[in-house]
Amino acid sequence: MKNLTLLFATMTLLLGSKLFAAPIELGASVQLTGQFANTGRYYGDAYQFAVEKINAAGGVKIGNAREKLNLKILDNQSDVNLSVRQYVQLVTQDKVNFLLGPFASDFALADSAISEKYDIPMIQGGGASDQIFSRRYKYIFGTLPPASDYFQSTLELMGQLKPAPATVALLYADDAFDVSVADGTRKAASKTSLKIVVDQRYSSKASDFNSILSLIKSQNVDAILVAGHETEILNFIRQAKTLNVNPKLYSFTVGVPSADFRAALGQDANYAFGMTSWVPSVVLKDDYFGNAEQFANEYKKRFGYEPDYHAASAVGDVEAFVKAIESANSLDPAKVRDAIAKVDFDSLYGRIRFNAAGQINLPQTVVQIQKGKLVPVYGPKGLLEKPLYPMPEWGKR
Amino acid sequence: MQLLWQILVNGVLLGGLYALMALGLVLVWGVLNIVNLAHGALIMLGAYACYYLFTGFGLDPFAALPVAMVLLFCLGYLIQRHVLNLVIRAPMFNTLLITFGLEVVITFLAQITFSADFRTVNPSYAGANFVLLGATVPLVRLLAFGVALGLTFALWLFLDHTGIGRAIRATAQNLTAARLYGVNPRRLYALTFGIGAALAGAAGALYGVVSQINPYIGSSLTGKSFAIAIIGGLEKSIYVLVGGLFLGIVEALTALYIGPTYTDVVSFGILVLVLIVRPTGLLGRTA
Repeated sequence: MKNLTLLFATMTLLLGSKLFAAPIELGASVQLTGQFANTGRYYGDAYQFAVEKINAAGGVKIGNAREKLNLKILDNQSDVNLSVRQYVQLVTQDKVNFLLGPFASDFALADSAISEKYDIPMIQGGGASDQIFSRRYKYIFGTLPPASDYFQSTLELMGQLKPAPATVALLYADDAFDVSVADGTRKAASKTSLKIVVDQRYSSKASDFNSILSLIKSQNVDAILVAGHETEILNFIRQAKTLNVNPKLYSFTVGVPSADFRAALGQDANYAFGMTSWVPSVVLKDDYFGNAEQFANEYKKRFGYEPDYHAASAVGDVEAFVKAIESANSLDPAKVRDAIAKVDFDSLYGRIRFNAAGQINLPQTVVQIQKGKLVPVYGPKGLLEKPLYPMPEWGKR
Repeated sequence: MQLLWQILVNGVLLGGLYALMALGLVLVWGVLNIVNLAHGALIMLGAYACYYLFTGFGLDPFAALPVAMVLLFCLGYLIQRHVLNLVIRAPMFNTLLITFGLEVVITFLAQITFSADFRTVNPSYAGANFVLLGATVPLVRLLAFGVALGLTFALWLFLDHTGIGRAIRATAQNLTAARLYGVNPRRLYALTFGIGAALAGAAGALYGVVSQINPYIGSSLTGKSFAIAIIGGLEKSIYVLVGGLFLGIVEALTALYIGPTYTDVVSFGILVLVLIVRPTGLLGRTA
């Protein structure tokens, strides 16, 4: 009798270990609080959402077994140093299998040193700076298109506008991402007839743009291109209005696609150009969410706010891991790393295929806020919708 | 030349708001000897109070300003009475730590309550402006400047010409003597901190009209207020105007002639210089 109980217990244990195999651990350190929490939340929420969906669909197939994903998210409080420590903790103490990235280039730049040091692949959807990928690191992959290309499509559009803008003011914040954007924009503009007449770097914490706006106004600049953060861009537009600065167009790297940007500015958000690597359309099919539009609707219902390209990019990161693990048929970090380098699939975010440096290339669709709505105006195939140009003066809106 | 004139106008208008931001900090520092690191967080709360009064009740931001001041006064009074009063005799380092802790707590609670979304207080006239001798003058900035000037002047009148004001100054100068004359320092300290918080509330209400607000604006505003306090000196509340205007103009000029990425370096560089050369502030009596 005693032997029978023992046998039963052993069998339960064996069966149990088979049925409840240790899930695949994904770890990330994200800005859930602190000054970048507004964008950081996209990553926390989208990672979570993608993992739930993938698990609900049966998980990840390795050999004949199906393994669930388990997500461990730590809050780095928008502190780069803390995020580096948290990634070390995720790798050395929590022993996660793979790493998902934080938001923002400065963070990805620092944190990718950890994935490289411990040979654990990291796929990140929050850092676009070319600097992240120019160090020949093997274990970092990114799903945002290169920062240096952000204004590329906008410059193409500007070439087609009538009357064509001739002079440009280029403003950028002094962090890794925005410096890369400015470098790329300068290079691209030099190949056009556009002349950059104001080229200024500003401090990332700046809240007052009155001096620079006065300078732009005195030079009568046609187009203003700003690479910065949403807080700065909100202030920039409001102050442009109060100082009655009237360029023919202005475009911003971030903010424009976000719903809360439009809510904060109200009517003053109109006419602003921006860009996005993602438009939530039915064309973008996805194995887990159906398509991008369905994802956007479900996301909004679940979290109470609209997703933008940050969220879509984050989902792409999780799905890229699933594809890579399945094709490597293993959890071995080196094998999965090689598999990531070879993935090529369509997702709700777009086609995910990494180049030799580890970054993907997606075209930036130019968007404009027209009558309070976000309208895609220029894509890789040309004009999508008539851009409102030139902007009417502030007094005549 | 035209551009320089415009930049100076910008700088002066910004400086007025800066002065108001620092006014409460200077008052509390001078009287209670507490460097209130939560000052910026109180400004942030004032901005949110104005935001919700504006969006929720349709109250004009300048009408919401006194309401925000009353709310912040009550909060400040309670904070002093029930938190800071417990450490009022402790070394300065402890009060620094406790106000730092308050800042973290207030900011965290603000994110939970208000979310990390960016907000603006955007009345219909927010973009209005007029031209003065060729320089564009934003109306709301001018109004904010006027309010800042008015409140600074009012505080000066209050401290110099009312019984309570004199009692506050007396307590700051000689606690024992003030006690002998029947001053109740506990109530007075709470009152002073309340006034300091109310001024932060006023600054916040104006800040939301000219800038975006989110729960994290506090710490950088504290830093700025601190620099203004040092530059102006703590001796008289009116000196804070000098500190604010000075910093506003210097920042505007720096952004134009040296580059906008250097504004913080220059303003905090000046802070260091002032501490070395004139530790009592630009207008303070030298030792």
